[in-house]
Amino acid sequence: MTESAVKVDRLEKTLGSNRVLRGISFEARSGEIFGLLGPNGAGKTTTLRVICTLLAPDAGSVEVLGFDTRLAPREVRRRVGVVTAEIGVYPRLTARENIAYFAELSGGVDGEINGRVDAVLDRLDMRDFANQRAESLSSGQKQKVAIARAIVHDPPVLMFDEPTSNLDVLASREIREFMVEAKGRGKCVIFSTHVLHDAERLCDRVTIIHQGRVVASGPTSEVRGGYQDLEDSFLSLVEAAR
Amino acid sequence: MNSVGIVFMKEIREILRDRRTLMAIGLAALATPVVLFVISQVSTKTASQTYTVGYTGDIPSGLEILFSSTGLKLERIEDPATAAKQQVDIGIAFTSSGIDEYYDPTRQSAQIADVRLQTILSRYDAARIAATLQQKGVDPSVLDPLPVTVHPLSSPTKAAGNSFLSFFLPYILITMSLTGGLSAALDTSAGERERKTLESLLLTPAPRSHVLIGKILAVTAISLTAALAAIVSMLIALSQISFGGAQNGAFNVALSPLAAVVMVWLAVLLAASFSCLTIALGTLARNFRQGQAYATPLYFITIFPASIVLFIPDFNPNVAYYLIPILNAVLVLRDAITHDTVAWSALAVTSASLVLTGALCFYAALRLFTREALLVRS
Repeated sequence: MTESAVKVDRLEKTLGSNRVLRGISFEARSGEIFGLLGPNGAGKTTTLRVICTLLAPDAGSVEVLGFDTRLAPREVRRRVGVVTAEIGVYPRLTARENIAYFAELSGGVDGEINGRVDAVLDRLDMRDFANQRAESLSSGQKQKVAIARAIVHDPPVLMFDEPTSNLDVLASREIREFMVEAKGRGKCVIFSTHVLHDAERLCDRVTIIHQGRVVASGPTSEVRGGYQDLEDSFLSLVEAAR
Repeated sequence: MNSVGIVFMKEIREILRDRRTLMAIGLAALATPVVLFVISQVSTKTASQTYTVGYTGDIPSGLEILFSSTGLKLERIEDPATAAKQQVDIGIAFTSSGIDEYYDPTRQSAQIADVRLQTILSRYDAARIAATLQQKGVDPSVLDPLPVTVHPLSSPTKAAGNSFLSFFLPYILITMSLTGGLSAALDTSAGERERKTLESLLLTPAPRSHVLIGKILAVTAISLTAALAAIVSMLIALSQISFGGAQNGAFNVALSPLAAVVMVWLAVLLAASFSCLTIALGTLARNFRQGQAYATPLYFITIFPASIVLFIPDFNPNVAYYLIPILNAVLVLRDAITHDTVAWSALAVTSASLVLTGALCFYAALRLFTREALLVRS
């Protein structure tokens, strides 16, 4: 069995007066696409933010490739790349400069950084607009910049938080293809979404969370169970959890 | 390059591509000479302007010569009290018993004409008395038993120039230290949140304190550049412009090397403190606009201390006053310009106060930048 890349154990988190996570546990492995599913407000984004050390857990623990997020946050951040729905880029920098900035902050010597940026520009087919200022790019091109900066340090763990919610059909398909390719390269891909059709097509295993609790977890086919599709299974599970 | 340097270089690159910041610096450098030129023209015009004195009755012999040499023009009128309201600057009636004077103190031209008239009349009286005494064989010096000889310790024209600089230069320095980098500070803090780049930035392995320091250094560099650009352009303009008009002894304004060194040192401290403060406020804001609203009250901070020097030129407080940030910078700079000397104890207290202020602002910015609410609020 493949070793866990991300291990979340009885995670709890309260934001303000809102108890967002109430004992979430799951494991995601290298070489798979792991779906983190749930309705809006279920706690998916908060879970991802704890995994990537932006938020500290109130209770429970998170390990990324053996590094505890509380004890070694910088080591965790070196090994994680995150793509969110909000494709914020620096408008007055070119696409290349945007990517290079994050490559430099992730560490490495100058020559190595240029090589990494070139490699990621080629990999995402970004050469045509690499030297354009980000303010003049289309949404799809900006999304590529966002992906490029998340992967430019070649992290073994990639997290996608609702990555297609602001994109058109073509750009969404490119994202999905990229996730499949990353899985093929042995990355641990965590895909957070409420678009169950995408999850069913892409994910090897899923965890469904609702109101801060895990309501189902396992291989996608098992979670779907006897239902026609994952959406029916999901609705049934969420209804039962109310 | 470490993460502080990486963030610094990126911020500088972005700032230099930002029209708002470039315009702020450009306007600062251009606006100051324009303002000074206008002031120079107004002061020269005021000093050389001829004011009209409306009169009735017969002018005592010889007095009209004094009038014309002092920039007062005589004009015969019917009613001096009525004419002094608008038609002429001042009205006088020569009577057998003396002179009745009518003027409106709310009119600046009337005040200036009054001062000139009083000067003329006192000279005329003195000359007439001296002539009368001499005719009677009495030495006129009998009226001046204790003659006073004045020995100014500095040139009156230089003093006038220094007085002008001691108000204007601290005002420009403080204002530009704040406003020169304000747009950049808000852009790098509130703007980062508004355009949704903050989360990605905080996901990098770079420590948040390093990221913050890089941003502060970049904004400080821009603030300092703006302040020094404004001051250098001001000094260049001052070297080319005369104030007061030739009639009253025109003067040029110049900054001594000591005052220049003190000014640069204070500019560094002020720019760093303001950068920390404005970034802290920007970090608190959800967007650029809200950041501007938070920063608006800071403008008053820049105006009040400079106003003290304007309204109380001889304000000489004890050293405790030098603990008050910004006011202390104004006072030290005023002393350096006016007296061409620095009280080192006052400068030390001022420096310590500004460093402490900057440190507190940095601590506040760091606390705001490292708290979880930074992301959750957005």
